[in-house]
Amino acid sequence: MKIEIRGEELILDKERAIFLPNEKLLAISDLHLGKAAHFRKAGLSIPNTVSRNDLLRLENLLHKYQPKTLLINGDMFHSDYNTEIDEFAKWKENFNKVSFILVKGNHDRQKEELYADLAIEVYEPSYSSTKFCFIHDVAECNSNLYSIGGHLHPGISIYNKAKQRLKLPCFYFGENHAILPAFSIFTGLQLLKPKEDDQVFAITPTKVVKV
Amino acid sequence: MQKTKGYKQIISWLKTDKKKPFDFQKETWQHYLDGYSGLVNAPTGFGKTFSVFLAVVIEGLNQPKPVKGLQLIWITPLRSLAKDIARAMREVLLEIGLDWHVGVRNGDTSQAEKLQQKKAMPEILLITPESLHLLLAQKGSTSIFKNLNCIVADEWHELLGSKRGVLVELALSRIKGLQKANGNQILRVWGISATIGNIQEALDVIVPETDAKKIIVKAKLEKKIEIKTILPEKIETLPWAGHLGLKLAHKLIPIIEKSKTTLIFINTRGQSEIWYQHLLDIEPDLAGRIAIHHGSIDFELRNWIEDSLHSGLLKAVIATSSLDLGVDFKPVDTVVQIGSPKGVARFLQRAGRSGHSPNEISKIYFLPTHALEIVEAAAIKEAARENNIESREPFVMVFDTLIQYLVTLAVGDGFDDKIIYQEIIQTNAFKELLPEEWAWAMQFITSGGDSLTAYNEFKKVVKDDDGLWKVKSRQIAMRHRLHIGTIVSDAMLKVKFLSGGYIGMVEEYFVSKIKTGDSFILAGRVLEFVQIKDMTVIVRRSKQKKAMSPSWLGGRLPLSSNLGAVLRKKYNEVLDKKHQDEELDTVYPLFLIQQERSHVPRNDELLIEMINNREGFHLFAYPFEGRLVHEILGALVAYRLSKLVPITFSIAMNDYGFELLSDTEIPMDDSIAYEVFSPKNLAEDITLSINSTEMAKRKFRDIACISGLVFQGYPGKYVKNKHLQSSADLFFNVFNDFDKHNLLLRQAYEEVFYQQLEEPRLAAALHRIQNSNIVITYPKRFTPLSFPVKVDSLRANMSSEELEQRIERMKKEVFK
Repeated sequence: MKIEIRGEELILDKERAIFLPNEKLLAISDLHLGKAAHFRKAGLSIPNTVSRNDLLRLENLLHKYQPKTLLINGDMFHSDYNTEIDEFAKWKENFNKVSFILVKGNHDRQKEELYADLAIEVYEPSYSSTKFCFIHDVAECNSNLYSIGGHLHPGISIYNKAKQRLKLPCFYFGENHAILPAFSIFTGLQLLKPKEDDQVFAITPTKVVKV
Repeated sequence: MQKTKGYKQIISWLKTDKKKPFDFQKETWQHYLDGYSGLVNAPTGFGKTFSVFLAVVIEGLNQPKPVKGLQLIWITPLRSLAKDIARAMREVLLEIGLDWHVGVRNGDTSQAEKLQQKKAMPEILLITPESLHLLLAQKGSTSIFKNLNCIVADEWHELLGSKRGVLVELALSRIKGLQKANGNQILRVWGISATIGNIQEALDVIVPETDAKKIIVKAKLEKKIEIKTILPEKIETLPWAGHLGLKLAHKLIPIIEKSKTTLIFINTRGQSEIWYQHLLDIEPDLAGRIAIHHGSIDFELRNWIEDSLHSGLLKAVIATSSLDLGVDFKPVDTVVQIGSPKGVARFLQRAGRSGHSPNEISKIYFLPTHALEIVEAAAIKEAARENNIESREPFVMVFDTLIQYLVTLAVGDGFDDKIIYQEIIQTNAFKELLPEEWAWAMQFITSGGDSLTAYNEFKKVVKDDDGLWKVKSRQIAMRHRLHIGTIVSDAMLKVKFLSGGYIGMVEEYFVSKIKTGDSFILAGRVLEFVQIKDMTVIVRRSKQKKAMSPSWLGGRLPLSSNLGAVLRKKYNEVLDKKHQDEELDTVYPLFLIQQERSHVPRNDELLIEMINNREGFHLFAYPFEGRLVHEILGALVAYRLSKLVPITFSIAMNDYGFELLSDTEIPMDDSIAYEVFSPKNLAEDITLSINSTEMAKRKFRDIACISGLVFQGYPGKYVKNKHLQSSADLFFNVFNDFDKHNLLLRQAYEEVFYQQLEEPRLAAALHRIQNSNIVITYPKRFTPLSFPVKVDSLRANMSSEELEQRIERMKKEVFK
């Protein structure tokens, strides 16, 4: 789905990503790589297909949009170093032409060298493109630009008079800031309460729908 | 036996008290001394406890020199029971002069006492199933069962139909295994049970070995019970729906006044708080003479209440199932049940709390909370008269409990998988366990995946140098100990006064909704919320008179099928007026309204009501099969209707029927009705309808907790688990998408199928419906039958529409 924010065109993808055609920038948030492995370390069996699936989805997006830049808007790695980060490193070799940018989030506590080794440019607390300020937690933004955040894992609940209810992940666009859905499938949802003029786009398995 | 020293000693001791043993007690002693295991079935108040307990004592007295060390493990389902039974046992031992110690071990036992027990085990240990597993999770625990003669599962009927029963089965299998390894085969296992429909099965679960010497000892004694319904002067007084019943509270006051002590049973903790406040409001004289007792009230307070009950200090106690079982409160001569007890067995059990001595009559009053419940009262009376008592179905193949048990053993002294496998397939719960399922369970705790994907980083249970499987990480071991058990609740927080002193517990969920300065009631007191500190809710006394009551998300009990059948019959009788029940006379006017607006279903009829109003298009159907079956039936009918046209439903249900609600018109006529209620293609259609609702996902919430996937945390024992927060729902989705062979996932679906669905019951219901007359009416307004279903808030969804189309239609309403 195509929308316009502050005169800039944005494409919202059902795979929980946005693409800025003018800047050839693909942005995702809350990748939480290594979360499944972190759980396994603590004795909880989570199959590693979970994180592989996330990487596969990201791969498809990179092929689809051919971006110059991939921006990860915080919480790229879930926790301490683990095997899933090794898998990521191997996977990333296929995309040497894409520059990776990480805007640090509350989970990103890896050593600086790791990011350097992986050739990921790190920004803290925010990264600004021409029109937008990318920051993990929009509550901490003090830029005049329209800010785009993540962190919340936003979801929207829709209901009708017949007491039916739907709960879906969503993109949120408010007056001064936007919130991206969590990219990883292995994340929960935090329900938003949008205001009258806010735009909310729910994500279904097949497309993005404005609600 | 009669010639033995021990027997003579017991008989002469009884004589000094001018008592003699009941036949069933003597029978039990004889069988026990002959080496039998078994099951004692006797009504409450006839000395069930003394049947097996004295058998063990007689054997002890018969020994040439005094025996020491753990002789008897007495498993009780409730903590409150242990204290009283221990007191009774100590008295007997003291009077007989047998130098045995009686110890209690459960969640209320102090750390110091537990340490003391570790040094020297008492001869008799009273314990809950959970604490028994905790004992197995301790290092060096395997040696304490060496001289054990007997394990008793008290109130076995109560444990049997739950996963706690499986905990007992597993613990038994281990202790037997340990004895066998020591060349010991003296252990006898006895269950003590009230009457249930499947008493033989109850024995076969607790003593599963087919070649074991086992027997059922049945007391040929009958407890007289008097049941009275508290009826309103006019039926209009009572609401058509609701669970509280405060409208009839004033009728309770004279009953309390004229009785010595009254126990008032209410189905949920939240409602009990409200009733307590309300009784004080309408009769301030009761202040200081009534108390409230439920599982979320602090141990000290509960103790005080129980002691006061014994001494007759209290006029009335409002209780939940926390006081359901066996404790013998002598002064209690009256019991009141508020709201439907949902089953005959539970009702009789509660009635038995009064007139506890053998020849007294148990007196119980039934106070209906809404108009239709009066019919239920008539049905319960009839079912009780005919002793139409439910069965308790044992749980089988519960992988969550198995996984928890294996980790428990690994946290303790470690285990040899070959030995444990042999022990486990001896139990009733896992006798059908396949070798590949066992292999999966082992992989789940050792390598974290199936055989193809072993994960290097996975660390839980590892093979030690001595060849035993153990948990090496102290953190995992500690976390596991905190989570042993199969009762799943939301994380609970302790509530404490600013000035000190604990009051009880509330769910974390409830606390998250209140702000500083808000008031709520707990343990009958109005409290003002100050703050949360160190996982404790700090409060001060509030000056407010009224406040909200915390809701504890306890499970709602479904109507049993026994009661459902009698209920259908009673519906027939109301309009006929050919009955003896005063209850049915009272509800007669309500049935006239039902008849006038729609129809009163007869025994051979299924009523379907189609009502259109502002909310949308409603379909109500009333099979009277209980909430759980209706949940499945509702999903099934919704699924079949949605195959006819693209449509979306929300589904609600109660014990009488279910509702399908849609914002588009629901197709319905005679032929459609017979088709959607047809038993044809049942298994397949049910599978598809269960898959498209969230029933399995809900079951999975408990499974995830029990198997240790999700941590609940315990009051005051906050375990920091950074970056490990996740919800059961998320695990469910992940397994569904990426790990279809996960047995915990399969268990969730099977629990829906076998425990909730009771497939035979559903098939029987559908066959009954096929042979009935389906009556479809189109009432203009809600009817007495439909209203209670409509107001029920627990709803599921079912849709055959495209998600995008639904959103399209729904979003038009969202921001209005």
